Amino acid sequence: MLYALFAIVTLITVYTLRHYVFTLNRLFGFQRHPYIDIDAANWPPITILIAAHNEEKVVAHILAALMNVNYPKEKMLVVPVNDRSTDRTREIINRFCEDYPGRIRAFHRTEGKGGKGAALKDAMELVDTEVVLIFDADYIPGVGLIRQLVAPFFDAEVGGVMGRVVPLNVGSNLLTRLLDFERLGGYQVDQQARMNLGLVPQHGGTVAGVRLSALREIGGWNDNSLSEDTDLTYRLLLAGWKTVYQNRSECYEEVPETWQVRIKQLMRWARGHNQALADYGFKLLFGKHRATFRERIDGFLLLGVYAMAPLTLVGWILALGLFYEGVVPLHGLIALLAITTYGAVGNFAAFFEIAAAARLDYTHQKVCLLPFLVLGFGVSIFSVTRACISQLLAPITGEQFHWDKTERFRTTP
Amino acid sequence: MNPALATVLVVLLAGILLTLPLLPALVELRLKRDAQPLKVIQEYAGEIRHFSYGFRSYIAALLEPLRECAASRTMAKGTMPDGDHYLLLGRADDARLVSAAGRTTCQSVVAAGTDVVLPGGITFVKEMYAAGDLTGGEKSVFRALLGERDIQLGPGSTVTRWAHAVGVFRAGRDCDLYGRISSDREIQLESGCAFQRLNAPCIALGRSDTEDTDVAATTAPTPVPQGRRLVDEDLEIPAGDIVSANIVTRGKLHIGAGARVLGSVKSHKQMTVDAGVRVEGSLISVSTMHIGPDCRITGPVIAEHGMSIETRTRCGSIRTPTTVSAPTIAIADGVTVFGTVWARSEGQVVPQG
Repeated sequence: MLYALFAIVTLITVYTLRHYVFTLNRLFGFQRHPYIDIDAANWPPITILIAAHNEEKVVAHILAALMNVNYPKEKMLVVPVNDRSTDRTREIINRFCEDYPGRIRAFHRTEGKGGKGAALKDAMELVDTEVVLIFDADYIPGVGLIRQLVAPFFDAEVGGVMGRVVPLNVGSNLLTRLLDFERLGGYQVDQQARMNLGLVPQHGGTVAGVRLSALREIGGWNDNSLSEDTDLTYRLLLAGWKTVYQNRSECYEEVPETWQVRIKQLMRWARGHNQALADYGFKLLFGKHRATFRERIDGFLLLGVYAMAPLTLVGWILALGLFYEGVVPLHGLIALLAITTYGAVGNFAAFFEIAAAARLDYTHQKVCLLPFLVLGFGVSIFSVTRACISQLLAPITGEQFHWDKTERFRTTP
Repeated sequence: MNPALATVLVVLLAGILLTLPLLPALVELRLKRDAQPLKVIQEYAGEIRHFSYGFRSYIAALLEPLRECAASRTMAKGTMPDGDHYLLLGRADDARLVSAAGRTTCQSVVAAGTDVVLPGGITFVKEMYAAGDLTGGEKSVFRALLGERDIQLGPGSTVTRWAHAVGVFRAGRDCDLYGRISSDREIQLESGCAFQRLNAPCIALGRSDTEDTDVAATTAPTPVPQGRRLVDEDLEIPAGDIVSANIVTRGKLHIGAGARVLGSVKSHKQMTVDAGVRVEGSLISVSTMHIGPDCRITGPVIAEHGMSIETRTRCGSIRTPTTVSAPTIAIADGVTVFGTVWARSEGQVVPQG
């Protein structure tokens, strides 16, 4: 038990250090934005896929926004992928097709496997351009965003591109404000630090792009995956393609406004991530492929993020159990040092990261809410643990996991 | 003390001590002082002409009186709604009045209704507009310039924020051009000029051969191949070779003289391109890049840690504009770029040899 606890504490320490390395890199390191200056180019033809499943509340906004971008009109085809919608999504998309002939081509999917990966896989029949951009229907791209997301594809090593996701409905309630923190830390610090350090920026499957030849080389979209974006990140990595992150390519999204929806979203992400860990973890660390040493380490740590939640819970249980068992190694010195150090430094890592991200975004007052992160952390750790346990027990219980669409909250028609 | 009261007091005190650190959080949650989404400017398109568009709107109300001044060959003065003074010039030689009293600084927004020739050695603290050609004197300092036709800056002049010419923008030797310089036709910079961001259909640096420029403009781009050739160590493409692939090397890359690459090229370490090389795609280096003389590059040219380009090299063409970008760029006399040159820290036109 003691050694298991030591192992868990070591893992937690590794992740804590990782937080610090990323944050300090963002505050003081060399920042890489190599493609952001490309404003004049012979822009390639592109296809923009919009994943839409019952998106009547939001799909018109993204279509209207895309019709207003500054990418050459004759080189851009928008394909809304209407995945078995039962609301007015089809009608809205068809209306846009009539209003913008030749610029929007609808892909109405009425049957087939569920899930975004499966829908995108089917929609690829319509794609013949080397660059494909992907958006979820609740995003609102700005005028210059498409060029920014296409620019990295002039680099022959780039297989995937990811932009920055910015919550729009921040002020709705405490949850949306905590999710704003999560996105702040995740994009402004984590993703950009990975970009700076030559590690593994994660493809998010929205505000993102993929090179068609790279996608074909790795076998296309994986419709068995619960998180097609994580799956794509690792298959590209193993095949020697880079995923790059563009921190200045910002796009508004809508975050969940109820804890119920948030927990559902978290559990889906956790299952998808763990699925990728099982599929690619060992191969990434020890296999023969094109990833560099640092990409192997960082990529594995990224895969293990959701597995850390149940491990942390186990660690707490072990620590309590050992305490009541009376196990006190080295007269309690190690425990004392560990608890003191972690209390002083370790616990602070995630808070430090988000506060640094807020500073980088020139926001000030919102950091006051940092103590409430503990609430978000608590919900996450138990939801993710629940997802992990159900996933582990699935072979026995026979539980089937499927892709769940995140509910939308936008009220404007 | 009553034990019950003591217990209540302890609980109350503990509650206060627990709540106190949360007070700023509770106040922020209640007042929502910083609950707006991060400001993403939806209209932002990275347009180099952004400030010139803004200035054009700013002086729109002055254009009619400016035309009257030009028609009557008179001057006029006044105050803008924001309190800034303006000076409208109706004759080409009116600008001499700016320095008539021995002043070396002009504090007004200046708008010229005709061609204008400016005296040297003057600092224009506010923006300047010219409806006709604008010719600057030596060692003048401009905050910002908007010219409806050509702009010609005298040697040793400085632009501190931006300049846009609808016609040709020319800068004499040793000018310092900070910020954004753009033209709807052409930018010509002489040796010794320092710059940051340039954009025009054609950018001629130093003594460029414009005749050759036209030849480049008519050259149709070759289709770029799909797929890549990945190399884990240093790579040398021999002189005169023709390679049809996109190439990515994790080491250094050396492309020999006269070689032709039908694709894009990337190196993780130093990239050296010898004389007369043609690359039909992009050139990207995670480190530094040196491009020799007489090269032709079709796609974007990016170096993350600095770049030098030698004489008579052409990047892009009129039909296929491109971007040349690095933190520091040293471009020799005679280089032509079609599109954008963007030096994040500093770019310099250096004399050849």
